[in-house]
Amino acid sequence: MTTVNLQYYAQMREQAGASGEKLTTQAGSLRELYDELRVRHGFSLPADALKVAVNTQFSDWSRTLDEGDTVVFIPPVAGG
Amino acid sequence: MSGFRIATTEVDLAQLRETLQHPGSGGFCSFEGWVRNNNEGREVSGLEYEAYDELALIEGGKIVDEAMARYGVLAAQCVHRTGDLKLGDLAVWIGVSSAHRDEAFRACRYIIDEIKHRLPIWKKEHYLTGDTAWVACSHTERAHEHEAPHAHHHAHPEPADDTGAVATPPFRPDYSRQTRLREVGEAGQAKLAAARVLVIGAGGLGCPVLTYLAGAGVGTLGIVDADRLDASNLHRQTMYDARDIGDRKVDLAARRITALNPAVTVETRAEPLHPGNAAEVFAQYDLVVECTDDLGSRYLSNDAAMLTGTPLILASVYQYEGQLQVVSGKPGGPCLRCLWPEQPAPGIAGSCVESGVLGPVPGVLGAMQATEALKLLLDLPGAASTDLLLINLLDHATQRLPIDPVQGCRQHGGCREVARRALEQAQGDTDVDVHFEHLDEAITAGFRLIDVREPAEIAARPIDLPSQAVPSGQVTEHASVFAGGRVLLLCASGMRSSHAARLLRGQGERNVYSLAGGLAALRQASDRVAG
Repeated sequence: MTTVNLQYYAQMREQAGASGEKLTTQAGSLRELYDELRVRHGFSLPADALKVAVNTQFSDWSRTLDEGDTVVFIPPVAGG
Repeated sequence: MSGFRIATTEVDLAQLRETLQHPGSGGFCSFEGWVRNNNEGREVSGLEYEAYDELALIEGGKIVDEAMARYGVLAAQCVHRTGDLKLGDLAVWIGVSSAHRDEAFRACRYIIDEIKHRLPIWKKEHYLTGDTAWVACSHTERAHEHEAPHAHHHAHPEPADDTGAVATPPFRPDYSRQTRLREVGEAGQAKLAAARVLVIGAGGLGCPVLTYLAGAGVGTLGIVDADRLDASNLHRQTMYDARDIGDRKVDLAARRITALNPAVTVETRAEPLHPGNAAEVFAQYDLVVECTDDLGSRYLSNDAAMLTGTPLILASVYQYEGQLQVVSGKPGGPCLRCLWPEQPAPGIAGSCVESGVLGPVPGVLGAMQATEALKLLLDLPGAASTDLLLINLLDHATQRLPIDPVQGCRQHGGCREVARRALEQAQGDTDVDVHFEHLDEAITAGFRLIDVREPAEIAARPIDLPSQAVPSGQVTEHASVFAGGRVLLLCASGMRSSHAARLLRGQGERNVYSLAGGLAALRQASDRVAG
C-alpha cells in the first residue's frame, strides 16, 4: 500500500468535489491509480486526454508510485 | 473657438473658406478627403464614419492649434464628417491661410497626417459585394516627422491663437514609471515602440492584455475578434461598458486603445484566423498572445507560432483557476502539442459559457500574459521559461511544470514538423464550416440537416425543419447516416458540429459540412426556431 497526495484541476476538481486529497492505494502505476479514481469520482476524461505530473515533473502513465508522491492530474482548459 | 469640428451633414465650404480670410494672408491652401470607389483592391460603394466625439473634438482642436503654432500660420480650420457617405462625398476638409505659401502647405499636411494618426474615428466600408468592414484610419505616413528639428517656419516663441490663449500641448505618453526600472530604461521603451504584437481574442483575457500593452507603449497592436459584446461578458471584460452591448469587440477595443494611448497603432481583424492565413498573419508580428476561449484557435495559434518561429503566450481559465504556457516558437519546442497532442473534442475542456468563471480569474491570467509579453519584448529575466504554470485562485496553489519536448512532439518528428502536418491537414478541411443566415437557405442549397445537439437541448430549442438527430459524441458510430448527398451538421455554437464534421471527413465522408457559428449565428427574426 502506498499513500500519495492527489491534486485535481479544472473539471476534475469539480467532479471530485475537492482540489486535493490524501489516498492510500494498491495501484502499482499512475494508470492503475487513475482507473481507480475514475471509479471513485466518476471522472469523465479518459487518461489520454490528460497530463499527469508527479512531484512537479510530467510523468509517464506507467510510472510506479512511491510513498508520499504528489500526483497532479491536468486536463486541457479552454475558457478565456 | 476650436479650429476643429465634426459635421453630421454636408459642409458649407464657401462659408468655411471665408472664416480663413485674413488681411495678412498671402496664401490659402486646402485639402479635401473624398470617398473613393475602391480600397485595397475591393470596390467600395459607400462609407460610414463613426467618431468618439468627445475625444475627437479635444484632440482635433489640439492638432489644429499645434499646426498653427508649429508653422506660424494665421488661421486654420478642419471639419470631419461622420455618418453615411456616398462615393465622391467630402469626408474631411482642411483649410489654412498664411503669409506665405510654404507654411500653408506644410500646416495642411500636418493636420491631415495627425488627424489620420490620432483621432478616434473609424471608417466602415460598404463593398459592392454587399459586405462591410471596419477599417482603421490610422496607417499613415507623417511627413513632418522627417523634418529637421527647428524647421518651424515663422513659429511664435509662445504658441498662441487669435485670442491670445496658449495652445494645449499635444498628448505625450509618459512612460517614466516603467523606464525607471533599471531593466527597462529608454532602450527598452524604444524596443516596445518598435514592437508589433497580435492579440487573438478581446475578451476576458484579452482586455487586460490589450490594456497593459497599450499603456506600456507597444507600437502596434493587432486585434482579432469576431464577436459582438454581450451583457454576459461585462463581469470580466473590463474594457467595455453597458452602452457597448451589441457592438463588435474589435471596434470597441480599438477605440478604447486609441483613447488610452493615441501613440499606439491599432490593426483590427473581425474574422477569426483560419488554417489558410494563420501563418501568414503570425509572420507579420513579433509576438502573439492567444486569448480566445476556443481550443481550435489555440491549436491553430500553436501551429502557426511553431511554423513561423513567433513566440506565443497561451492562457486559459476554468472557473477559479488557470493555465499559462509560453511557446517560444523555436524549432526544439516545447509547444502545446507536447502536452496534449491532439485537440480534444469540444465538451472535454469546459468553456466559460458551460462551466462558469469568476470575473477576476481571466483578469489575473490576462495580466500574467501581458507580463510575459513585456518580459519577452524587453528580454527581462525569466522570459525564457516555457514551463506550464497552473494557478488555483481558491486555495492559491500554484504548480510550475517543466515540459520535456523529448516526451512530446520529438517522438513524432519535432514540434515544427508536427505543426506543419496539422496545419496541412486543417487546410484540407477549410470548407467544412459554411455560413447561412436562415436554415431554409441550407435546404434550398441541397443540404440535409443533422442536429448533433444532445436530446435535452433539442427539446428545449427545436428547429422547425426536417432534420435527423445524432448526438455529436456518436457520429462515428452512425456513419451510414452521413453517406450520400451533402449533409449539414448543426449545434448551438458550431463547435461540436465542426469537430464532428472533421472527424467524419477523416473517415472519408467528404460531403459533411458544419453550420458556422451554430444556431446562435442564425438571423433571429426568421430562423424558424420555436420558443
